[in-house]
Amino acid sequence: MFDTSKVGHSFPPFTIEVERCKIHELALAIGDDNPIYHSREAAQAAGYADVPLFPTAPTMFTFWGNTKFVSNLVNLGVNPMAILHGEEEFEYLAPINPGDTLTGMTTLVDGKTRKGHAGSMDILKLETRYTNQHDQAVLVARTVVIVRG
Amino acid sequence: MTTNAQVPTKVYFEDVQVGDAIPRLIKSSVTHLQLVRYAGASGDFNPLHTDPKIGEMLGIGGIITHGMLIMGFVGQMLSDYVGPTALRKFDVRFKGMTHLDDVITCTGTITEKFEADGEARISGRVKAADQNGDVKLIGTFVAALPRRNAAQ
Repeated sequence: MFDTSKVGHSFPPFTIEVERCKIHELALAIGDDNPIYHSREAAQAAGYADVPLFPTAPTMFTFWGNTKFVSNLVNLGVNPMAILHGEEEFEYLAPINPGDTLTGMTTLVDGKTRKGHAGSMDILKLETRYTNQHDQAVLVARTVVIVRG
Repeated sequence: MTTNAQVPTKVYFEDVQVGDAIPRLIKSSVTHLQLVRYAGASGDFNPLHTDPKIGEMLGIGGIITHGMLIMGFVGQMLSDYVGPTALRKFDVRFKGMTHLDDVITCTGTITEKFEADGEARISGRVKAADQNGDVKLIGTFVAALPRRNAAQ
């Protein structure tokens, strides 16, 4: 069971630079060969300012921007091996381009322990708000994590 | 305040009707190599997704796919349909685990057309399911589309 007194707690902020090569790598892993994700020239020819953000690219910001993400969860009393990903939500507030530097702040916005006949599970809701180098809010990522007891 | 850039035109607001199906995307079967690549790309190195021994130990039938890879497949479908910068919101709820060799098909339907923040927007439902019809995730999205008359 995790420490419910931590609801409302924010982890230390982290920064990450948006890189073309990481967007290329993510699209490649997903198997999306749309040239806009693999070449700036192709992206510009298609009308984009630069290589655009792949829709699920924010997941890279969470893990690569905050390499302590998993240990943050462990500090809440979560066993990473027992984690199931319940929900994910992205709200895209403003354009994000390669070269931007994002600052993310993750908050444990809700958490509860649910007891059932199969045992108990913890349900944690995390929200990460990102601003860019101009202090403009650009992205919100919300994650529901289920931890099997 | 909405400062999102206008999108290169994939589809016009006027051409979309509530109930329209989004062109489906059928992905190649999930491979172990793909999960290793996805772990590196995303930075999610949880061994549940890369080490078969862990999956056996936990009794979940070997390696399970990163849920975010399946959301990525749906993201590819939406990117093909409206373009990535058109998206304003994209959310999913994971319903089942995906294993190696599963073949995922992504589908979606337009549920609403509306105006918000000075933009013409659509919203829709999305789904990813495997070769047996087992649902892996369901979700929704909101996208801003250009108008025909504004394009001239």
